[in-house]
This record gives sequence, structure tokens and C-alpha cells, in this order.
Amino acid sequence: MSGATTIRPELTQAALEAAPPGRLKDDPILITFGMLKTFGGIRAVDIDHLEIERGTITAIIGPNGAGKTTLFNLLTGFDRPDRGSWRLDGRLLGGLPPHRIARLGMVRTFQLTKSLSRLTVLENMAVAAQTQRGERLERALLRWLWQPEEARVRERAQALLERFGLAHMAGDQAGTLSGGQRKLLEMARALMADPTLVMLDEPTAGVNPALTESLLEHIRDLNAEGVTIVFVEHNMDVVMDISDWVVVMAQGRILTEGPPQEVVANEEVIDAYLGRPRDTADGEEEGDA
Amino acid sequence: MDFDIIFGNAARAGLGPQAAIFALAAIGLNLHFGYAGLLNFGQVGFMMLGAYGTAIVVATWGGSLWLGIPFGLGLCVAFALALGIPTLRLRSDYFAITTIAAAEILRLLIRSSPATDITGGPFGLQAIANSFFDLNFLPDGRFGWGTFSYSSNQLWVMIVAWILVVLCSALVLALIRSPWGRVVRAIREDEDAVLSLGKNTVAYKLQALVIGGVIGGLAGVIDALQQSGVGSENFEPQVTFFAWAALILGGLATTVGPVVGAVLFWFLREGVESFIRELSEQGWLPNALADFLDGAEGAISIVLMGIGLVALMALRPQGIFGRRRSLHLGT
Repeated sequence: MSGATTIRPELTQAALEAAPPGRLKDDPILITFGMLKTFGGIRAVDIDHLEIERGTITAIIGPNGAGKTTLFNLLTGFDRPDRGSWRLDGRLLGGLPPHRIARLGMVRTFQLTKSLSRLTVLENMAVAAQTQRGERLERALLRWLWQPEEARVRERAQALLERFGLAHMAGDQAGTLSGGQRKLLEMARALMADPTLVMLDEPTAGVNPALTESLLEHIRDLNAEGVTIVFVEHNMDVVMDISDWVVVMAQGRILTEGPPQEVVANEEVIDAYLGRPRDTADGEEEGDA
Repeated sequence: MDFDIIFGNAARAGLGPQAAIFALAAIGLNLHFGYAGLLNFGQVGFMMLGAYGTAIVVATWGGSLWLGIPFGLGLCVAFALALGIPTLRLRSDYFAITTIAAAEILRLLIRSSPATDITGGPFGLQAIANSFFDLNFLPDGRFGWGTFSYSSNQLWVMIVAWILVVLCSALVLALIRSPWGRVVRAIREDEDAVLSLGKNTVAYKLQALVIGGVIGGLAGVIDALQQSGVGSENFEPQVTFFAWAALILGGLATTVGPVVGAVLFWFLREGVESFIRELSEQGWLPNALADFLDGAEGAISIVLMGIGLVALMALRPQGIFGRRRSLHLGT
């Protein structure tokens, strides 16, 4: 277990051995310890220990107010925890501003889609590039310094738009896109930033079934290319369909975690989040009668 | 009714140094609000620092004008940083409130009696632009026709001022078309989205604030040069709002909008004022109304301009050059 403590210096040997089954991952890309965030008297997020396995698709589920989005905000630097530490690829992220965390490879999307309305679809993509040094003010006027890179950025953006079926709208202002197309654009834009870990906050919320299918296909493709994916989702069909691992949160804490089939059968999860299927309830009624 | 006089006065104002000064102020505001989404209601503060910085070096410290101008613009940079660093992390409305207050505080400080030794207090500073007018290669005399004419020195200020307007417009256009400008425009749309893509949005907003503020400072420098002096009464909050009016009239987030807006603003303001004065002088107005308007032509002109702007907002909210389509996409 010595390897286990080197990547988790915060944990004692005893704590490691006491970890619940499934908590320790073989090759975790993200490790979180003692993350606490309170709003007034409410413990919005109170997580002792959470690990995300590299290269997997992890779903975070739980009732409204369970702290899923707050956890996203904390991990990506958009909000500060009261205490806690977390590492991306071994690197401590506590105290880093959100743009630094994004540059380290953890890129998020938002529950309410944030398209840059009055920029074109192509500009929405190009702004996510991490390689354009012309974004620095002192080089902005020296066109020859950024022009070659700009051509590469546009080419990459165009290829990604092609893949997400948005290429025909590249020149349109993003504000003219439909809700579903904006979800696609936001995902494509996150990819443009070359992430190693993508955090998707309700990627299929408000998206029609056909487009949901295509979004999921993109998530799978992305994952197949080696990008680790964490997503918050309420649609259990989606969760069962694409996730390798499910983390269930309730009242800021981790209720349980495990492979999807195991989690949906868990009594606690059913009570806290999933509810009982109608026929079981009927059965109880019959029993009472 | 002498339309030559009315039109001559209007054209004189529309092309004169005042219009160029407001065009510069509006170009700075356009970078602030039109492109970066920063609600700056204290542009007059930058103009004041540009003007006073220049004048203090020349009149108070006896230095060269060519040191005074960079000193004034340097004060604008410092003002932008002092304004921006504490407030640009907050929501945009806090920034807006801070700007208007800061500019007014600055004006009151400048005209306060303890500052009199440096700023001239309520008396201002005079005779600062001699080395600027020494460079005037134009012959003496008046240039133009009838009321539409300028003295040699006025024409010299105008030439320099309009060249600066063109240069600053070109600078902003080049910046906005660069990858830097793309990030700045993206921040205007949604700052959190841009943060999530790894851009230090506060740094970009601060840079935009500094550049737009320095352009506003240039407007102040030109103002100090054309009057060869400074006075705090020229930098009341309404100056900021006239610059805003010019910008909105011309169209936000366009290159020519702030310039054409400023020209039109001064053309209309002076034209309407002359028109009312002519009406009274020709006896075309009832006596009671003429008496009422007497001496208030300027104020009435501003009132009519205000009504005109309201009508513009209702009928063409994107301004003259703006794109209506973009307006509906506003977040």
C-alpha cells in the first residue's frame, strides 16, 4: 500500500485501510480530501474522500440540493471551500483561480448553457484555444506573430464543429442557436481547450431525445480518446447508459458509489433519490389489505 | 431666417475641436462598454487627469508640454488601475457606481482650496499650450466661409485632434480584431464562460479599462490644448453622459459609431440652439415664448436632444451604425 500513500499524502495508512469499498481507485486523476463548504448553517458539500479514476465516465447523481453543482464549483475554482484539499494529477489545486485550474486541464461546462451570444460560433470555439499567444495584449497588434497560429486554431475549431454537426453555422452568431445546439457548442468549446478532465453539469438538461442520443455519442467518443469525464445528471437512463461509475450524493455527502447496476439496486439510494417503482408500492398495498 | 448662419454654426461645432474631443472620449467608452462590457460612468475622470496632468507639469512645475502630456496619460493609467483592481472582481454594477463616484471625487479634490497651489483650485491653470501652438505651420487668419470658419490655431488643434481620432479608431479596431479582442468581446458576453476556458478575465478587463481610459485622457489633453488651460468646471459628470450620448447615437461596438455620433451630437446641439435663437431674433415666436427662451437656447437644445435620444432608443436602439440583430442577442 506504499504507492497508495504516495499519491494520497493526506491520508494515514489506517484511514486508507478504513476506506469504503470502491473508494480507492487504481489510477485516480482527481483526489479530494476533507472538502467542506457551508452556506450559513447548511453543509452544502461535506466530502471526506472522493477519487475519480482516470479515463472513466463518472456520473454524479443525487436529489436537488445534494451539493453536486457546488462540488463542481469548488473543484473548478469557481467557489472556495471552507476547508479541503484536492489534487489533479497530483497537483494541489486549493486557492488557484478558475482560469488556472482550467489551464491545468480540468474544464467545465455549466448547468445553464453559457454561449457567447454575439460572437460567431467559430469565434466561440477559437476563444477556447490554449495555444493562441496573440491573446496577450503586447502581441495583439503584431499580426504576424499570431496569424499562423490563428490559421491552425480555426482549422481545429472547424474540424470540431464538423464533428459536432455545427459546421454549417460557423459564421452565425451563437445567440441564434437553439438550446440543444448551444449544449453541443459548449461541449465542443470545452474540447477545444484540450482538457484531460471534463466536468459536465447536466449536459442533457432541456435537450430533446434525438439530440441527447447524439450528445451521449460525443461523450463516449471523447472518453474513447482518453479524456476523463465527470458529469452531473438526473436522467437515470443516461446514467445507466454511459457511466462506468456512479457517485450518489445526498445532503452534501457521498451516500455511496459503485458501478451503475450496483448503485441502482442500493436500498439507501432508492430511498434518497430514485424512489420505489410503482408496482412495488402496489404490492405493499395488497399486502396491507 | 438665415439658414447659412444656422448651418454654419452647426457645421462649425460638428467638425470643431469639441466634437473631436468627445469622439475620443466616446472611442474610449466604446472599448470599455461596447467591446469589454465595462460600464464606465467616470470617463470624465480620465479626461480630467489627462488635462490636469499636462497642465500641472507645464503651469505649476514649469516643465515641458512634451513631458506634461505623457505625465497626464500616466495618471490615467494609474487611475484605471486604482479603479479597476479593487472593483473589477466584483459584479459590473459595483464598478459602474465606483466610476461615477471616483470621477466626481477627483473633480472636487482638484478644485478644493488645499489643492490650489498645484491645480489652481477654482481658478484652474492657464497658458499651457504655447509650445503646442509654436508647432502650428498654418498661416495666420481665418479659414472657412461665414460662420463656418476657424482661426489658424483652432484649425491646428482640429487637425491634430482628428488625426488622433483616426489613429485611436484604428488602434481599437486592430485590437478588437486580434485574438486579444476576441477574448475581450467574449468576456462581455459571459465572464464565467471565459474563465472556464482558462483566460484571466480580470487582467483583460483591466487592460481594456487602461486603454480606453488613456484614450479618454487624450481627449482631456486636447481639451487643455485648445483652451490653453484647464478648469474644473469643464469636467462635470454631464461630460461623461454627453460622451455616452454620442456613443449610443452612433452605435455601440462599431468603429465609426463613436466618431459619427460625436460629430452629429455637436452638429445637432449647436444647430438646434442657433435655430431657436434665429427664431427669436426674427420675431417668429410669440413674445412670451421668446422671453422665456431668451438666454436658455443652449438648455432647450439639450432638452430637445434628450427627447431625440429617447425617440432614437425607441425606434433604432442599436444607434445609427449598430446591428439590430445583435441587440436581440444581448444576454
